[in-house]
Amino acid sequence: MKWTVLGLLAFVALLASVMLGPAAVPLAQLAHSDIVWNLRAPRAVLAFLVGGSLGVAGAALQALVRNPLADPFLLGLSGGAGLGAVLAIALHVSGPWALPIAAFAGALAALGLVYRLGLIGGAALDPRILLLGGVAIGAFAAAITTAIVSLANAAELRNTFLWLWGGLSGASWDAVLLVALYAPIPLAVLLAAARPLDLLALGEEPARYLGADVEAVKRRVYLAASLLTAAAVAVSGVIGFVGLVVPHIARLTWGHRHRALLPAAFLGGGALLAFADTLARTVVAPRELPVGVVTALIGVPVFAFLLRRWTIA
Amino acid sequence: MLRRLLFVVLVVSSCTPSGRSAAGPSQRIVSLLPSFTEILFDIGAGDRVVGRTQWCDYPPAALAVPSVGEGLPPNIEAVAARRPDLVVLYNAGPNATAAKQLERLGIRTVLIDLNRLEDLGPAARTLGKLTGREQQAESLATAMDGLAARPPPSATTSLAFVVWDNPPIIIGHGSYLDQLAAQAGARNVFGDITAPSAQVALETIVARDPQWIAVLSDSAAPPGFAKRREWRAVRAVREGHFLFLKGSLFGRPGPRSDEAIRQFRALLAR
Repeated sequence: MKWTVLGLLAFVALLASVMLGPAAVPLAQLAHSDIVWNLRAPRAVLAFLVGGSLGVAGAALQALVRNPLADPFLLGLSGGAGLGAVLAIALHVSGPWALPIAAFAGALAALGLVYRLGLIGGAALDPRILLLGGVAIGAFAAAITTAIVSLANAAELRNTFLWLWGGLSGASWDAVLLVALYAPIPLAVLLAAARPLDLLALGEEPARYLGADVEAVKRRVYLAASLLTAAAVAVSGVIGFVGLVVPHIARLTWGHRHRALLPAAFLGGGALLAFADTLARTVVAPRELPVGVVTALIGVPVFAFLLRRWTIA
Repeated sequence: MLRRLLFVVLVVSSCTPSGRSAAGPSQRIVSLLPSFTEILFDIGAGDRVVGRTQWCDYPPAALAVPSVGEGLPPNIEAVAARRPDLVVLYNAGPNATAAKQLERLGIRTVLIDLNRLEDLGPAARTLGKLTGREQQAESLATAMDGLAARPPPSATTSLAFVVWDNPPIIIGHGSYLDQLAAQAGARNVFGDITAPSAQVALETIVARDPQWIAVLSDSAAPPGFAKRREWRAVRAVREGHFLFLKGSLFGRPGPRSDEAIRQFRALLAR
């Protein structure tokens, strides 16, 4: 029943984002319209893939650091991606893919630094140090970014912030293909770690007694979730809230078993972002809202409602 | 002798009811907007400009004036270091706070609106009064008022100003650029958006199908987004119909606005 509802929700969200938009496309021409084929459809699919990836990455990271506030961007990736993008503009790196590639590289650099910091106490990855290191590296990268923006002359630098705040305007079939080829690898790694993640929730010691290779799992989960997030940030900037709230909503409905939780977070995150993007494009048409605003406006009330229901029950 | 001195002091003090700063035409002016710098030079007060922003590059003589940096928001110390008796600021956001800080240092400030063509006349008159160049300012203001009141020709072509590509930010009706386009005979396809600029979906640009994509750019190289696949859905992008508008001429209302309109028309006629 739960799965049917979720599947239906995802299907409706995808359908709506292909059918609805600020440009009036008659129903009869939907299948032949250039706008639908080259703009709406790739944007809908990209929204779904990015939302789903953020949902899964968030769920996995929350389990890894055992902190309900964990978010895919908390571990310094948004700061690193922002620095990469701003550097690319400041150094006049041109080309249609310059910004996404630079952002991805920046996110990877931050990931590497945080990972290295996480290993500082020895061979064991310490989740607390991961969290603190992530916040620190993120803040440091953000400071350098702000320094570049305020010191450099290029007026267009201010606009990188717009890009960073997230949005799916850059969606094309190229971007969809890229994500569709890339995302399944980290997603599969995370799904394969479902059982050890369940054990990890009990604490590292008990998980070890129950037969989980705790150190290897932590590393795999951290790297896979971060690589997934880095791809998301490269194609769509920092879209907040999906990775924080969707895992909690999924957990409230599906419980703590990651074998069910991760797929639910994927479908839920995809549906939420596709739906939010449809609203962003249509409610104030011909203008457009930043999609992060809409994800928060939908996500928070749903979250509050569920929280209330479950704490009363 | 003493009596004469006393007389002078009395006369001067009677002219300055609000302290030392309002004593006659300003002699040392810091201009914190390229448009103000252009107006000051145009009305013959250029020799009294002792500070400008890094963006003030016209007329060429302005480049000899020391720069005080960005201008928005201004660096208070850099401005004060020019020992101005008048600072002219663009009336927006953080500038009001900056003006208060400068007043506290005993420096006279004036905040002037300058967003559209019709603001030019009043701005020129205000600057004329402050510099004692009322006559020259009046003739400039009259010309600018005439420009602002001129009914635009009927549009022969259409365009969209793309300020940023991801997310797409366009120029709406409330902007000076929209006025320039109208005067040059081009219809802004986003003229129904009242704001000066707004984020829109790419498909809206495709659906409105402008004949030209106008970008503020100093080079004539196609913008980076021209090669992106999703932007190829826009006909004008596919056909390479770009208008490259130099920011230093087209990006600011000023004495050269009619020149900007002329050049705009010439670009459209190519």
